[in-house]
Amino acid sequence: MAKNLEVIEQSTNELTLAERQQKKPKKTKKKLKAVWMYTLLSIFLVVSIFPFYWMFIGATNDSSKMFTNPPTLLPGDQFMTNLTNLNESIGIFRVLFNSLFVSGLYVVIALAVCASAAYVLAKYNFKGKKFIFTAFLLSMMIPYQATLIPLFQMMSDFNLLNTYFAVIAPQLCFPFAIFLLRQNFLAFPTELMESARLDGASETRIFISIVIPSMRPALAAASIFLFMTQWNNFMWPLVVLNTNDMYTFPVALSSLMGLSYIDYGQVMMGVTLATVPIIAFFLTLQKQFISGMLGSALK
Amino acid sequence: MKKVTGLVSMLLVLSMFLAACGNSETGGEAGDSNKVTAWAWNINVPVLEEAAKKFKEENPDFELEVVEMGTDDVYSKLTTGLQAGGKGLPDIVLVEDDRVQGYMNAFPDAFVNVSDKGFDEMKDSFPSYKTELLSKDGAMYGFPFDGGPTGVFYRTDIFEEAGVKAEDIKTWDDYIEAGKTIKEKTDKAMIGLDLNGDDGLYRMMLNQQGTFYFNEDKDVALTSEESKQAMEVQQTLNEEGLVKETVGWDAWISAMVGGDVATAPSGAWLYGSITQQGKDTSGNWGMIQLPAFEEGGNRASNLGGSNYMIPSASANADLAYDFMEFFSTNEDVQLSAMEGGLFPSLNTIYDNEAFTKEVEFFNNQPIWNLLASEMENIPAVNYTGDYAVAKDEAVKAQSEIANGKAIDEALKASEERLKNRIQ
Repeated sequence: MAKNLEVIEQSTNELTLAERQQKKPKKTKKKLKAVWMYTLLSIFLVVSIFPFYWMFIGATNDSSKMFTNPPTLLPGDQFMTNLTNLNESIGIFRVLFNSLFVSGLYVVIALAVCASAAYVLAKYNFKGKKFIFTAFLLSMMIPYQATLIPLFQMMSDFNLLNTYFAVIAPQLCFPFAIFLLRQNFLAFPTELMESARLDGASETRIFISIVIPSMRPALAAASIFLFMTQWNNFMWPLVVLNTNDMYTFPVALSSLMGLSYIDYGQVMMGVTLATVPIIAFFLTLQKQFISGMLGSALK
Repeated sequence: MKKVTGLVSMLLVLSMFLAACGNSETGGEAGDSNKVTAWAWNINVPVLEEAAKKFKEENPDFELEVVEMGTDDVYSKLTTGLQAGGKGLPDIVLVEDDRVQGYMNAFPDAFVNVSDKGFDEMKDSFPSYKTELLSKDGAMYGFPFDGGPTGVFYRTDIFEEAGVKAEDIKTWDDYIEAGKTIKEKTDKAMIGLDLNGDDGLYRMMLNQQGTFYFNEDKDVALTSEESKQAMEVQQTLNEEGLVKETVGWDAWISAMVGGDVATAPSGAWLYGSITQQGKDTSGNWGMIQLPAFEEGGNRASNLGGSNYMIPSASANADLAYDFMEFFSTNEDVQLSAMEGGLFPSLNTIYDNEAFTKEVEFFNNQPIWNLLASEMENIPAVNYTGDYAVAKDEAVKAQSEIANGKAIDEALKASEERLKNRIQ
């Protein structure tokens, strides 16, 4: 018996030892995994941050420094020079105003248009509703090149070339925003609308005072999309705007791209300036943006 | 209800604001008979403005509005406007040499016939390759502006280190030999090429031999003897390891100013880029003409250059013509173009001090004189309206050859494809 016991004891000892041996590498494995993960993440971090860093390097250095070998990796002292040169070339304040005005106004109006459309498509039943919604979605597949010339002709016939209105108008009804908002509106409890109706609220009142306030995250997400679209919009403003003082930021920046000579100091400075408003806009709406995206994903 | 009225009134105010903006911007443009609008890209803007200042001395009411935009942006806007039937176009537009015939073919009546307005009288003041480029059925449709006479830009420091004399390079064979010596002595490449992206060297060599993607009858000529010879030179350079792959314009410039390659055959306009982006390399540069294919052969060629055209839709075409005639033939205006690195094609100024002077950046070599002497020998060639497709196919052939395909075969395949594409 004693022998047997001993054997059992031994075997249990062995077991625990074996277990311990198994456990130890598990821990180090976990650690290894973490190390590996963080290395990978830091590589991604560097890869995604570097272009922005390079942009900043370019903005603070003389154009010729961008072409040295090995490359210049430290910020230089040409920040003010590049800024003044850029201002002389494109008139920063005017261009910044144009872009902010066009994008801001666009977001306000397009949001009103898209939210109403999305609300109707989500909460009302009428004949042809599905057809209209599909048509909206399908219109996303038309390449802009196909609409460019007819739209341009239209604007020209209306005598609207070189106006802010011409830049904003064609995209006011933005199918993707309508889609995004509709998906969110679908989740709004219809009972709430019905009880409001019983209390005597008009349909407009229900929309504006009850539905809209509870849809803030979705609206924020949509407005970021709309803002980005308009802020980065290049081809259309280029085509309809005919004087330098009406140019938006991307168009003005592109005008720096000549044939054989490009001052990269100015270009990088311009790109830096153009990035700031987007980052600011995103950071202020970030919380709503992410919850809005998740919201539409979870339903 | 408050919120509703608030929103509605806000929208109303905004739309009124919009309408106000709209009116003020369009109102100014219509009916100004003394105002001429021009589209051009960066380095050309000061030249236009200088010309306007001088033109104003005799035409005090004259007003020029230059809309500055990127080179490609000019074409995007011009093409859109022309396709929409001549809407929203300027009175003057700058178009590169390789695009001119494309526009003239695709939009036959879209540009003003300047011969009708009397420009033929000034024809002799410009090299024949320029005036022929702008001609269709014997009439000219644009004003020659800058040219791209070619030369081999080279680094004197690298040549010295290798003990090679650039002046001794007379033929492409000499050029290859020099490249081998440089490679051996300094371990540097002779030339930067983007074999899968651009065919600038090939185009220069074609033009030098008096032909192009298309021959004198405007037929596809990728399999011509000239074309094969050009590809052979390029392939030998590649096989001997004398080529540094530079993908895109920026890599090419940076290889040049960084001293990684010894030479860059290119158009005169490269001067502007290397002097701006390689400020520290002043004095380390020299220039020779393109090497010939055989001893004593033609060494003049062209790469790039641009021209001004007047769209027929211009409401102010007569004034635009008067201004452009002044612009094109006024010597002071054309000399001012050189400050930005543009090479004027007006040949009455080539004896000016600006051309004969020694250039410090180029080791006091009078490079402008060298380039000017080339101008009348540059053969006129056909870009046709299919330049872009042809270039695409030529680059494909070049890339295939670099990857080991036989020259004859690659060019033949490209020629077949090109014929199919442009039918």
